[in-house]
Amino acid sequence: MSENKTLEELTKYFKDEFKTKIKSIDIKKRATGSKKKETSTIWMKIDKGVFKDAIKHLVDYQYPHLAVVSGNDLGENIELIYHFTVNYGERLREINLHISVELPKSKPEIESICDLIPGALITEREKQEFLGVKIKGIPDNRKLFLPDDWPDEVYPWRRDETGPEKYYKNLHEVNK
Amino acid sequence: MAKGLPKSFKKALWVYHCNSGSCNGCDIEIIAALCPRYDVERFGIKLVGSPRHADALLVTGPVTRQLADKIKRIYEQMPDPKAVICIGNCGNTGDVFYESYNLIGPVNKILPVDVHVIGCPPRPEAIINAVAQAWVKLETLEA
Amino acid sequence: MSSKTTTKTTYHIPVGPIHPALKEPVFFEFEIDGERIVDVDVKLGHVHRGIEWASRKRNPIQILYLAERVCGICSYCHPAAFTLGIEDAANIEVPERAEYLRVIQGELERITSHMLWAGVAAHEIGFDTVLFLTWEMREKIMDLTEFLCGNRVTKGIMTIGGIRRDITKDMIPQITKSLDYLKDNFEKIRHIFLDDKTVKLRSQGVGILTKDEALKLCAVGPTTRASAIKKDVRVDTSYFAYGDLDIDYITPDVLTGEVNGDVYDRIIQRLLEIKQSIELIEQCLDIMPNGDIISEPKIPKLLNQLKKVEGEGVGRHEAPRGEVIHYVKLTGEDAPYTWKVRAPTYNNILPWIPMLKGEQIADIPIVAASTDPCMSCTNRVGIIKDGNKYELKKEEIHRLSVEKTRRLMS
Repeated sequence: MSENKTLEELTKYFKDEFKTKIKSIDIKKRATGSKKKETSTIWMKIDKGVFKDAIKHLVDYQYPHLAVVSGNDLGENIELIYHFTVNYGERLREINLHISVELPKSKPEIESICDLIPGALITEREKQEFLGVKIKGIPDNRKLFLPDDWPDEVYPWRRDETGPEKYYKNLHEVNK
Repeated sequence: MAKGLPKSFKKALWVYHCNSGSCNGCDIEIIAALCPRYDVERFGIKLVGSPRHADALLVTGPVTRQLADKIKRIYEQMPDPKAVICIGNCGNTGDVFYESYNLIGPVNKILPVDVHVIGCPPRPEAIINAVAQAWVKLETLEA
Repeated sequence: MSSKTTTKTTYHIPVGPIHPALKEPVFFEFEIDGERIVDVDVKLGHVHRGIEWASRKRNPIQILYLAERVCGICSYCHPAAFTLGIEDAANIEVPERAEYLRVIQGELERITSHMLWAGVAAHEIGFDTVLFLTWEMREKIMDLTEFLCGNRVTKGIMTIGGIRRDITKDMIPQITKSLDYLKDNFEKIRHIFLDDKTVKLRSQGVGILTKDEALKLCAVGPTTRASAIKKDVRVDTSYFAYGDLDIDYITPDVLTGEVNGDVYDRIIQRLLEIKQSIELIEQCLDIMPNGDIISEPKIPKLLNQLKKVEGEGVGRHEAPRGEVIHYVKLTGEDAPYTWKVRAPTYNNILPWIPMLKGEQIADIPIVAASTDPCMSCTNRVGIIKDGNKYELKKEEIHRLSVEKTRRLMS
């Protein structure tokens, strides 16, 4: 395992490899407590085509900790954000790394990262059933949280016509 | 204890607990009622592992879609006379989850409820009070 | 002798267990050959209440109350992570005294959760007396929680920009009294769990999670620290007042000198964390500065301030079970655009599979409970015996576990 990189070295590591395919990198620092110790965060937007290579590049540096994958429905596109952390194991050295990818709603497909990071299985299954994203190469394709008799084309986190509006329930109602 | 309870208890009340999708707050308070601080076992109330031995059913949680028919089946497995106690706000009205797409309804749409206990979660004393009231109902039913 | 037909019924009993890990229902399916487990399958979703979707109609203060009810046992960590996410997105400054108070409340919750777990683990092995003993001690800490926050379980003490109740000077003797009670009795618990021959026989060498598997499956919390991976959000990053405190990673080799990754190591891990929490609370009470406890006490002003914010934020907190992460996106309306919740148990589900392979049926309760899941097992176990498949219910598995202990004791 290589030496822990600092924040600037890590940004340079990604920028050198992917150059224009990275759409933006934002760095944020937040200080808390009386002694004002800081924690840094990198928000990175990358192109869908180099997504798998970027993850491989990250695993080559240090095996990251994948916390979760969150998703946004942005109207025309679906945005997936992968929340990683690196440099754990030493006091106050951890760096948060959030990599986000945009997928068009007409073809919401992305490759699975379960061969590189086996712990991503549960969160990828969740994205398939809640946002309607097709994850290619996922080892296990079943539904995770929704019941088995849930209709196929209804995606609870979407904000368009495939959302769960028809399934609203008002349990407070008193039928007189 | 509740009024109207005869001085010599004819039987000890056995209780079966069923979680229909709750956040576990109410469940932990039920177990805390068994522990030495509140100590329900001195009244003879016992938590059993099978609905076929139970007299009263404690239901917690808003009923999710996956568990609605299972609760009904448990109720049918219990022998008469039986009582149903709905613990916590989730089973009564849905609490903060009242609009969710995965919930079937308050428990009294699925089972006939005898005692409602409100609170999020209700204190162990309130739970003991509820079981005692169900006890009175069962005793009067039998007599 | 039975014929070679496989008959598997689909009769479900949702949760039915008498044991105190009464948490969410989960459906396990095991493939068993003789007494050994060959394969495990987990099915979730019985407690899906659509919380993230419900947040689309609520403003951030209402979401705090929704977040508390995600889990009743860790009812402080979800509002904590959500608040961290909002404060990250909106760049809100929190007063220093509030950060220390937040640490104290978080560590109190950690102590109650670990004592609850200790009772559950003892019950799974078959020692009901230890269950009553640890829960009685836990009641003293619940009294302290009620004294400080007003309620035992859903405390409602976290708010955006600070904390709702202060700890004044006249409350401190009561806190010290409760912590002294814990410190005096800690040796008793340690002796019961770690020096007892039967506990060692049941838990050493059982349910092993190797360091490599814990790393690859992204396990979190005491489960991964007991396998010698140093991941702890309080030590790695600076949030609340943890950056100022003297804190270090705890792994089982602090006590025993070696790490095996089995159930015994996880028991050691949690007992050591109780001790660490008591020390952290005492450190905080010593160095807490004076000052405000909330940055914006008027709620309508706070909500107006949040309405003008556009941005994303992530909040991470070390709950008793592991790392909690919340992601919030604010777009200038009343309700947040997106709110993603990830409880720690969801990362600890996949490690069940390598832990349970090769174990006996009677060890299932203690191995599953050793990761402190915030869900309970709706089990139906499928056995392959002479080509037939049977169904076992949760009570039977618990009975098998207790019987194994009696066999080992005699």
